[in-house]
Amino acid sequence: MLNQKYGVGEKAPRVDGPSKVTGEAKFTADIRLANMLEARVLRSPFPHARIRSIDTSQAEALDGVVAILTGTDLGDIDPYYGHAVRDRPIVAIDAARFAGDPVAVVAAENAYIAAEALELIRIDYEELPAVTTLEEALAEGALRVHDADLLRLGLFHGLGDFRPHDNICYEHHMTKGQAEQIFAEADVVVEGEFRFPAVYQYALETHAATAVWHSSDQLELWANCQHPYLVRAELADMFDLPKANVRIHVPFIGGGFGSKSYTRMEPIAVAMARKAKRPVRVVNSVTESMWTSRRHNMICRMRTAARADGTLLARTAEMWLDTGAYADNGPRVVATAADAAPGPYRWTAYQIDAYGVYTHRSPSGSYRAFGATHLEWIGESQVDQVARKLGMDPLEIRVKNLLKPGEPVRTPGKPMDADLIGDIRKIAEGLEWDKPRPPKVGRGLGIGLLAAGSRPVSTAFARLESEGTVTVMVSTSELGQGARTAMSQIVSQELSIPLSQIRVPDGDTMVTPYDRSTGASRSTTLAGGAVHLAALDLKDQLITIATSKWQVARSDIILRDGRAWVGDQSATLSELLFYHFGFSGGELFGRGIIRPEQGQGTYAAGPVFWEVCVGGVELEVDEETGRIHLRKIVSVADVGTAVNPAMIKGQEMGGAAQGLGNAIFEEMVFSDGQLLNGTLADYRVPRMDDIADEFVSYIVQNEDGPGPYGLKGVGEGILAAMPAAIVNALADIGIHIDELPATPERVWRAIQQSKSV
Amino acid sequence: MNIQPTFKLTTTINSIPVDAEIETRTLLIDFLREHLGLTGTKRSCDMQICGSCTVLVDGKPVSSCTTLAYEVNDREVLTIEGMAQNGELHPIQQAFLDEYGLQCGYCTPGMVLATAALLNENPRPDDTEIKSFLSGNLCRCTGYFPILNAVRRASERISKEEG
Amino acid sequence: MLKPFVIHEPQTPHQASELLNEYGWDATVYAGGTELLLVMKEGLASYSHLINIKTINEIHTIQLVEDDPTLRIGAGVTHRTIETSPVIAAHAPLLAEMERSLANVRVRTMGTLAGNLCFAEPHSDPATVCMAWPGASFELTSTDGIRQVLPDEFFIDLFMTARQENEIMTAINFPLLPSGTGSAYRKFVLLERPSASVAAFVSVTSDMITSARLAVGSVGPVPYRATTAENLLVGEKPGEDLYRAAAEAAASAADPVNDLYGSVEYKRQLIRVLTRQALQQAFERAMGVERL
Repeated sequence: MLNQKYGVGEKAPRVDGPSKVTGEAKFTADIRLANMLEARVLRSPFPHARIRSIDTSQAEALDGVVAILTGTDLGDIDPYYGHAVRDRPIVAIDAARFAGDPVAVVAAENAYIAAEALELIRIDYEELPAVTTLEEALAEGALRVHDADLLRLGLFHGLGDFRPHDNICYEHHMTKGQAEQIFAEADVVVEGEFRFPAVYQYALETHAATAVWHSSDQLELWANCQHPYLVRAELADMFDLPKANVRIHVPFIGGGFGSKSYTRMEPIAVAMARKAKRPVRVVNSVTESMWTSRRHNMICRMRTAARADGTLLARTAEMWLDTGAYADNGPRVVATAADAAPGPYRWTAYQIDAYGVYTHRSPSGSYRAFGATHLEWIGESQVDQVARKLGMDPLEIRVKNLLKPGEPVRTPGKPMDADLIGDIRKIAEGLEWDKPRPPKVGRGLGIGLLAAGSRPVSTAFARLESEGTVTVMVSTSELGQGARTAMSQIVSQELSIPLSQIRVPDGDTMVTPYDRSTGASRSTTLAGGAVHLAALDLKDQLITIATSKWQVARSDIILRDGRAWVGDQSATLSELLFYHFGFSGGELFGRGIIRPEQGQGTYAAGPVFWEVCVGGVELEVDEETGRIHLRKIVSVADVGTAVNPAMIKGQEMGGAAQGLGNAIFEEMVFSDGQLLNGTLADYRVPRMDDIADEFVSYIVQNEDGPGPYGLKGVGEGILAAMPAAIVNALADIGIHIDELPATPERVWRAIQQSKSV
Repeated sequence: MNIQPTFKLTTTINSIPVDAEIETRTLLIDFLREHLGLTGTKRSCDMQICGSCTVLVDGKPVSSCTTLAYEVNDREVLTIEGMAQNGELHPIQQAFLDEYGLQCGYCTPGMVLATAALLNENPRPDDTEIKSFLSGNLCRCTGYFPILNAVRRASERISKEEG
Repeated sequence: MLKPFVIHEPQTPHQASELLNEYGWDATVYAGGTELLLVMKEGLASYSHLINIKTINEIHTIQLVEDDPTLRIGAGVTHRTIETSPVIAAHAPLLAEMERSLANVRVRTMGTLAGNLCFAEPHSDPATVCMAWPGASFELTSTDGIRQVLPDEFFIDLFMTARQENEIMTAINFPLLPSGTGSAYRKFVLLERPSASVAAFVSVTSDMITSARLAVGSVGPVPYRATTAENLLVGEKPGEDLYRAAAEAAASAADPVNDLYGSVEYKRQLIRVLTRQALQQAFERAMGVERL
C-alpha cells in the first residue's frame, strides 16, 4: 500500500504510523547517551521566598551524585531567558516566585540517587508575602512580582511598545470609533463579567531535554521542543556561543499543543551538563510539567450593543490574563486575546483593553488556540444574548453581522480571507438547525477568528538521491499533527513519486534548515510552502536534465508515475540522475524559502491568515446533577485546500475533545499559590467514555489560503469554538454560565439559580 | 524466604527468556526501558490513570509504572515491541493505522496493548464495552473517535480470521 | 522514587504476622501494590520490608460456605477476579457490578479487594458496599489468633483502620442475601475517584419493607450508615415519596467538606440523588422487576 502515490488531497496513510504502532518511534526521553546522568529538580514549596542560603554538602557527599546546580553557579553566563521578556533565571538566583519554581538541580548516576539527593539539600528560605490571584496582583499598591524597571526584552518579543508597570507585564489596546457614544444610544445592551480557568495542556509526553557539551563551545541537545531554532538562539545567547555551535535534535514529540513552545527544560539540562561535565537528561513529572506551562486564567468584562434590527454596533472588553511569575508567551496571548475579543463581526466601534498580569503562580504560555479560546465563548454568548432579547434566531443574527471576504478585520492587518457565512451555515446544516429541538435538548453555535501563522519565515531542502529517493529537510516538529505526512504528500504531488520514496527525518538544527516555529497552525502553510518550493525547484532541475537528454522543449516534458515523459518515451528519476552525473551517484538539491511577501511580517501587519474557529453542539443535561451529555458535535475545517482529509478530521476531533475538556472539566485549582490538583487523579481530562454520540465534520475547500494550492492551517479553531458552542447550547435550555469550566456543580448551581428567578 | 534489595529476575519478555540481576525496587517500566532498552513502553501520569505504560502480563493489562519488576518473575510479559510477528503487523496495529487511531503516538503502545487485552477476552465487544475498557487509557490528540473505529475494525478482522 | 526494600514471601498468615511483629513500623503488607506503591513512589510512606502476602496459597480463593451461606473472598483475590467470577455472578452480582466500575482494568487486574479495604482511602467503592452489606465481616489474622471485625468497627478514619500492626486481613465474608432482598450501588464520578456513592440493601415482604441498610461513601473520611433514613424505610410501602424522604434524611446526615470534589451543598445534592436512585433500584431488584 505504501507504494501507492498519495498526492495532495488523498487520504494518505501516516508516514510515521508504522514506527508508532510498533513502539520503534523515538521520543526525547527514549534516548540514552553513554555516560549520561539523570537530573532532578528541587522546586520551591513557597509561592514567594527569598533564598538566604543553600547547603548542598550532604547531598554532594551522597555516593553517585556528580554535581549540583544552584543560582550561584550562573555567574559567568547570562542566566535569564524568556523569548518575550527576559525575566526568568535557569534556577532561582535570589528569590523563588512560584510554588514549583526550580531552585536547585542534582545530576547523579541514576534517578534514584538524584531523587534521594534532593531530600538532602538544605535551603534556608525566607517566606515572603505573595500575590497569588489576579485580584491581589492588581490591587492598589500590590507587592510587585518583578521590578518593572529592570525587565529586559527577550530575543523574540515582537511586542512593539513595551512599557511594563506595576504587575502589568504587557498590555494591548484596540480602538475603533467611539464605543461609549453608541452604548449610550443603543437599543440593546448586554454586559457581564466572565472567568476562564487556568488549564493544563497535558501532552502525554512531559517536557524533557538531554544535553551534552562536546567541548567548552560545542553543545548538543535532544529536546521535545516545538521551536528548536528559537530555543537554539536563546541558549546561544545565554551561554555566549555562536548559534551554529548549538545543535538541537527534535525526535518525535508526544503532543505539544503549545506546551512545548519556546524554551522549557533545555537551559536546566544545558547548565547542569556544563557543571557536571557529562551528558545530562532531565524529564519532568506531570506535576512538574503543569508548573512548566499552562493556559492563562482570565477575568473579562464585556459589553455588546446592538440595534433593534439585530445589527451589532459596538463592543467593549477589558481583560486581565494571569501570566504567572514569568511572562513566557503571555504578551502574545494577551495580544491574541485582544484580537479575538471583537469576534468576526462588522462593528461601528469597539474598545478592547487587554492586560497580562504577573502573579506568584506558575507561568502561563501557549496552549492551542490561545486568546481565541479565552474570548470566543464570551463574545458569542453575548451575541446569543442579544438575539434572545430581540427574539432573533442565533444563526440569523450571525449571518447578518459576519464579516464577508475582503472586509477589514482590524487595522492594520489582513482583511477577512474566509467565507464565514458559508462556514456557519454548514454548522447549522450539521446540527439540523431548522428541525425542532427535542425537549430539554440545547443547541449552540460558536464562531470566531484566530490570528494564525506567526512570522512567515520557513525554509526547506529536498535531496533527490541517485536511486530516486527524496529526503525532505524541514524543521517542523512532528507532534502528532501529521507534518511529516503532509510534507511527503506535497513532494509526492509535485515529483509524482510514491510516499515510499520520500522521507522526512527528525528535525536537527545542524542539518534541517531554519523554521520559525511549529505552532499557530502555520506548518503546512509556511514550512509546507517551503517544501513545495523545494519540490518545484527539484522538478525544474529534472526537467532541465530531461530537456538536455532528449533535446526537446521544457514544455514537452511531464512528470508522471515517478518518471519523466516525452510522448511515450520515459525515464525514471534515477535514470535522469545517471544521465546527468554519468554514473550511479550524485544528487540534486531543491530549496524553498518562504519570507514575508510584504513588510516585515510582524504581528500587527499579519496575520498570515485568519483561522476560522467555528463549531456547534447539541447537548442535554441531567438536571439533578448538572452533568452534561453531548449528543452531537459539528465542526467545519475551513482549510482552503485539504492536503489529507483524514488527518484534518483527526485534528478536528482531537481539538474538539480538548475544547470539551476546557469547557466542562479542566481547571488547575490554586489556593494561596499552591496547585491543589497537580496530578491526573484530580485534574480531569476527557476520556473515551466522554465522547459525543456523534461527530459531524465538514471540510470546506475554497482555495482561499496563502499556502500552496490555496491551503491554510487548521487544528486550533475547533478548540476555541467548543466552549462557545457549549455555553450557548446551555443557554438555549435556560442554563447561564459565566465561569468555565461548566462543571456539573456549576451547571447544577446555574439551574438552581434559574429556578429561583 | 525473602528477596534482598537486589535479586535475580527470571522472566519472559516478548517470548524471549530474560535473566537479570536487579534492585528489588525496580519498577517494571524502568526494567523494560532502562535495562532492556524497550522504550516503546511510555511513562506519563505515573499513577495508573493514563495507560501509556500498559503492558500485558500473562495476557492481562497492568500499569508498568506502578508494578514491580519482581512481579513478573516466572511470568510472560508482552510489550508493544512484541506485537508484530516476523515483520508482520498485528491486526490491531494495522487497524490503528487504517483508522488514523494515532497522532503523536505516545499513548499508542498502551492503547494497542489494552485493545489486545480487551479482544483476548471479548473478541466482539460493543461500543459501550470498548469505551468502558479503554476509558482507562488517555489520548490527548485524537478525540478517541478514530481509536474507537480502530478497535471496531480490529475486532471485525480478528473475528473473521478466527471465524 | 522508591527507596530500597526487602520483599518477604511468607507461606502462611501466621508467618506473615510474625514478620510484621519482627519489623514493626518498618514493614507493611504488600499485595496488589496499586495503592501502596503509589504512596511509596510519592515519598508519602517508606518501608524497608514488604510482606508479600500473595505467596500465601490459602488466600487466593473465592469460596461458597454452604451451611451458613456466605461468600468468603480471600485477601489475595483481585478486583478483576471478583468482577469475572461465575460464583460471584451467581451469588453476589452486586459485588461484580461494583468491581466493574472501580478505577480501570489495570488497577483491577493487580489490586485486591482486601488491599483496597485496608488502605481505607475515603473514596473507596468497596468500603461503601461493605458498610451496607448485611452481615459482612473482615477476617483479621495474626500470631494472636483470628478475629472477625464488622465494617463499621473497621473503618476508623481516613487511611486508618482497626487492623493491628501485626494483623493481615485474610478474608472478607459476604453472607448471601436472603430472597426478597434487593441491592444497588450508585455513584457519581467526575475525577478519578467517586465524588459520592451510595449502597442500598432492601428486604421486602408482601410489599412492605422489612429491613433496609444504606451506606454513603466518598463524602467523609469513612463511609457512614444512614440510619435515620433506614428507620424511615422499615415498615413502609416502597414508593417514590418514601425514597425521597429517605434520600433527604441520608443527605442531612452527611457531614461533607468543600474540596475538589465539590461543595458541601452539592455533595448533599449528590447523596440525595444517588440514595433515591439506589433505593429505587434495590427495591426493583427485591421485587424481581429487575434481575440482578
